[in-house]
Amino acid sequence: MSESPIAMEKCSRCGRSIEICACCDEPSCGAAVCYACLNEALGRAKPQPHAHGG
Amino acid sequence: MAAGLPTEGTNTQHLRAADVARKDVPTSGLTERLGEVRDRVRAAGWDSTVVVNEERVVHGLLRAAELDKDPAQLIEQAMRPGPSTFRPFVSIDDMAHFMVEHKLENVPVTTSDGRLVGLLLKQDVVSRTVEE
Repeated sequence: MSESPIAMEKCSRCGRSIEICACCDEPSCGAAVCYACLNEALGRAKPQPHAHGG
Repeated sequence: MAAGLPTEGTNTQHLRAADVARKDVPTSGLTERLGEVRDRVRAAGWDSTVVVNEERVVHGLLRAAELDKDPAQLIEQAMRPGPSTFRPFVSIDDMAHFMVEHKLENVPVTTSDGRLVGLLLKQDVVSRTVEE
């Protein structure tokens, strides 16, 4: 028995595979964006510096 | 700012989501019937309502498409559960970009703990962006 595959799309910013767009909650959004990229774009999160430093 | 309270400083001259969001958006409860809510919402001149609990924490959203469902349904069955929400401090320029790109007619603005600040309408965001 196999489960039906979940339709995946890619984040338009980072290319990560996502199930639905984090902005509009639609599975077939033409400009899908993941939560991480949406949060970063809206100032809710900042990119973190590399953990190991220079 | 994250709580939707007034701000001070030079950056306050830029409009934010909380400044433009409609605070008078009609709200509804999970256990109400869709037909009653639809009549109340449309009588108030709206085509959307935000579903909240007693603490005004957002649980869902009903846009025009959801309001047209079976009037006997409970709100919790008809609503879009867990809609994407946006924080009060987000600039309306950023909001305009995302709302146009994703064809969103309205989005809820909430505090970081999920309490409703208001409903941001695309028409308001776009017109205020042009004004700025």
